[in-house]
Amino acid sequence: MKPSRLDLLQGTLDLLILRTLQAEPMHGWAISERIQQISRDVLQVNQGSLYPALHRLEHQGWIQAEWGISELGRRARFYQLTAAGRRQLAFEKENWAQLTTAIGRVLDLA
Amino acid sequence: MGWIDWKLRLRALVFRERVENELDEELRFHLDMQARKHRQEGEDSPGAGRQARLRFGAVERMKEECRDVRGVRWAEMLGQDVRYALRGFRHTPVFALTVIATIALGLGLNTALFTAFDAYVLRPLAVNDPYSLYQFTWNTRAGQEHQFTAREFEEFRNDNPAFSAVVGLDGLFTRAGGHMLLGNLATGNYFSFLGVNAALGRTLLPADSAIPESSPVMVLSYTAWKEKFGADPAIVGRKVVIRGHPLEVVGVARPGFTGLSEIPLDFWAPITMAPLLKVSGSFLPPQPAGRIVIVGRLKPDMSLRRAEAALAAWSQRHTAGLPEAEQSTGVVLRSEATTVPLEPEVLAAFAPVLLAFVLVLVIACANVANMMLARAMSRQREIGVRLALGATRVRLIVQLLTESVLLALPAAAVGFGISELAIELCPRLMLATIPAGYSEFIRFVPLHPDLRVFLFMLAAALASALLFGLVPALQATRSNVMQASRGEFLTDVRPGRLRNILVVAQVALSALLLICTAIGLRANNQVRRLDLGFETRGVVEIELQDTLRPRVLRAIRSLPLVASVAAASKVPLMGTLPTVPVGAAHRPERMPGRFMYVSPEFFPVLGIPVLRGRNFSSAEAAAALPLAVVSESAARLLWPGRDPVGQSFQIDRVPQAPGAARYGAAPPAYTSALVIGVARDVVSGYIGDAVDRSCFYFPQPVDMAGGTLLARVEGNAEAARRKLDAALSESVPGAVDQIHSMDEIHAAQVYPYRALAWVSSAIGSLALLLTLSGLYGVLSFLVTQRTKEIGIRVALGASAGRAAGIVLRQSLKLAGLGTGLGAVAALGASRLLASQLESPMFDSVDFVAFAMGVLVVLAASACAAYVPSRRAARIEPLTTLRHD
Repeated sequence: MKPSRLDLLQGTLDLLILRTLQAEPMHGWAISERIQQISRDVLQVNQGSLYPALHRLEHQGWIQAEWGISELGRRARFYQLTAAGRRQLAFEKENWAQLTTAIGRVLDLA
Repeated sequence: MGWIDWKLRLRALVFRERVENELDEELRFHLDMQARKHRQEGEDSPGAGRQARLRFGAVERMKEECRDVRGVRWAEMLGQDVRYALRGFRHTPVFALTVIATIALGLGLNTALFTAFDAYVLRPLAVNDPYSLYQFTWNTRAGQEHQFTAREFEEFRNDNPAFSAVVGLDGLFTRAGGHMLLGNLATGNYFSFLGVNAALGRTLLPADSAIPESSPVMVLSYTAWKEKFGADPAIVGRKVVIRGHPLEVVGVARPGFTGLSEIPLDFWAPITMAPLLKVSGSFLPPQPAGRIVIVGRLKPDMSLRRAEAALAAWSQRHTAGLPEAEQSTGVVLRSEATTVPLEPEVLAAFAPVLLAFVLVLVIACANVANMMLARAMSRQREIGVRLALGATRVRLIVQLLTESVLLALPAAAVGFGISELAIELCPRLMLATIPAGYSEFIRFVPLHPDLRVFLFMLAAALASALLFGLVPALQATRSNVMQASRGEFLTDVRPGRLRNILVVAQVALSALLLICTAIGLRANNQVRRLDLGFETRGVVEIELQDTLRPRVLRAIRSLPLVASVAAASKVPLMGTLPTVPVGAAHRPERMPGRFMYVSPEFFPVLGIPVLRGRNFSSAEAAAALPLAVVSESAARLLWPGRDPVGQSFQIDRVPQAPGAARYGAAPPAYTSALVIGVARDVVSGYIGDAVDRSCFYFPQPVDMAGGTLLARVEGNAEAARRKLDAALSESVPGAVDQIHSMDEIHAAQVYPYRALAWVSSAIGSLALLLTLSGLYGVLSFLVTQRTKEIGIRVALGASAGRAAGIVLRQSLKLAGLGTGLGAVAALGASRLLASQLESPMFDSVDFVAFAMGVLVVLAASACAAYVPSRRAARIEPLTTLRHD
């Protein structure tokens, strides 16, 4: 049986995007590819919903968009983490860790 | 959400197209990359594109979500709503124009009023730091505001605890060159204190008021220079004779400056000239009273409260040694920042007028609300369909309110035009209608609109949009989807009731306004018909300076057109008489007796008959003997049923407030007087005071100090007045302060009542007109709504009269209820009015006025019902029933 594709929890998409952008600026398609690749296709980002999320993060000032040239020589919109975005990422990672530990404990005990 | 968010929102709003294109490009890039990946995995070209779109999800929905993130959807929707509303107005231009005109009228009136309020009460004077200027005085135990003598002013200036600088001011009211001149005698630092400079020549300087009577100079206001001195470029150096003293014009103040008070001034002269220019018309006891008003600039570090405390201490210390009546009971600090200080009393005086105007606007709004409601009802189907298609109620309400605002804004623009017109026309109307000799009294501060007026207009427009738009919008969007889809719209909504409430409110308000109008009209009528008890025709009144009195009297007597001259301490119609406690010998109790000093010629000149006994003789007057002529009513009060002639009465001594002497208000020196005659009752105070309850005339010679002259002339009094004025300014220049014919004085007294009657009539009729159109609208709607029902009734045998009766009954029900409510409100309003005006011309419960107001409203309502009821009577049952 193929591993089931997980629907993303509300808010986790933001965390994944921020984490993906930690290393380098990327355009939207690359972000969706990377998330899928690293999670070994377990996390299926509904590609369309990526964009409202990106725009929301931009409005929050955590990422910054700029037009650049893609690897294939086409104009593309690149997103990059801002200082505020880095702080937010650290904060959310911490949160996530606490949440998963807590859920793990509950599952173990139950 | 930080500033980045707002920056991006703003960008999305301003560069809407570009942001949209970028979104398109970004998504296209994604889809192309995804398709490319699928092609690399072996799909054919169309299949790859399909795959990519499948993985992506609904592209348009994602775009919508991205747009939501931008947070400028409201702006886009607003654009839609505006376009939609404008399209709607193009289809129903008559509706749109009617609404705009109705609201514009209401807004225009209110803006005109606010512009005046702004100019007098809100706009700071154009002087240095106006908000630190305060007039200072204190209340005395006698209940009067203290006025400073020159010595007191010096004392205060030398050791005042709160102000960084002070000026002393004294008013001067005179005539020169055939014009009335209003001036201030001021300390020389006045202009530098206020930061006002000269347009020509120089202003007053501190040196001008350094040595008493040493500097006979004056500064003209710019307006006076232009209007009364022909904008003479060589005015500086010219001499103007003021009260017999030539003053050299040393300069003209800069344009726009007309002093600190609400009446624009013509000139300023050094206060040290006061002893020459203001020989007090003090009567009998020569007691120089204070006349100086102090205006100071608060020290920068001084709070108002600390200043008040310091000044209170100063005034108490200063008045400690004075008679009790003159001791300070508390300081008065009155802001001089605006022409009229923003005080509760000012607002209270303004409130009734404001209320009447606001009520007109409210009636206009109710009218339009009714029209909007009718329109919304006729759009029920559209609204129902939109609700069924998923539009939210809030969205629809916002859309309907957008329509209201779009109607209110042009109404505001038109209203602004109306207010400008009103501001332009009203003073002209006043000048055209006021008695000629008083036109110079009409002085306004400039009434130009400023930012405050603009903001008021905008706020009033938006408020009225809410007022007339919100209720219909709420009401119209109440229909539920199920009913709408079945085509039933009016079952559970009760628009009829709401419209009825609106109409009842309108009728009530216009009944209130009309009853007030009727009260005003009746007061006017009463004033016009009032028998003054003396003859105003052919009498000219002259107020003059004591120093020049003998010369003026000689000059007047030498004129052939003057038949005889009398003098009186106060002329009838020129203010309320002073009183003194008097009592008859046989009764211990005292009554307040109004009194005046007159020369023997007084009675014949004014045509007041001496009914019993006799007039004073010239010898008695010259000796100022303790005799009296009393009025009929005074005689009745003191000696009921007895012959007053030959009786004597007691005059009590009472402590006089300082300054009382100035107006001939000091009681006689003797303590009892013998009655030698009884004169007919007259109106001696203001015309609003009606006929006196008592009057005691004491004899004085015609050249008595402080007296006003009354000349009986041959022929036309107005022509004689002009001749007299010309002759006197020729022979004794600057002696005459005022010269009027008694007819003119009478007309000027009646004028406020006439003006009140006009203004209230205008407001009342406007209100009535608006209400009628409202009532007409509701009844027409009623007929349309109940056509089917009336048709069935007629088919079942009801007569046309009964059909019309349905409408008439409804109309009378609404009008009756409204008028009743209005009458109750008017009862309260008229009580309030009567208590404020304290005039016998206004009854607190004037039944005739109430009946008039109520009848007019009911009759008008019946008229408004006539056309709709005729329509109801003509309903054809067959056509009606076939319909639907």
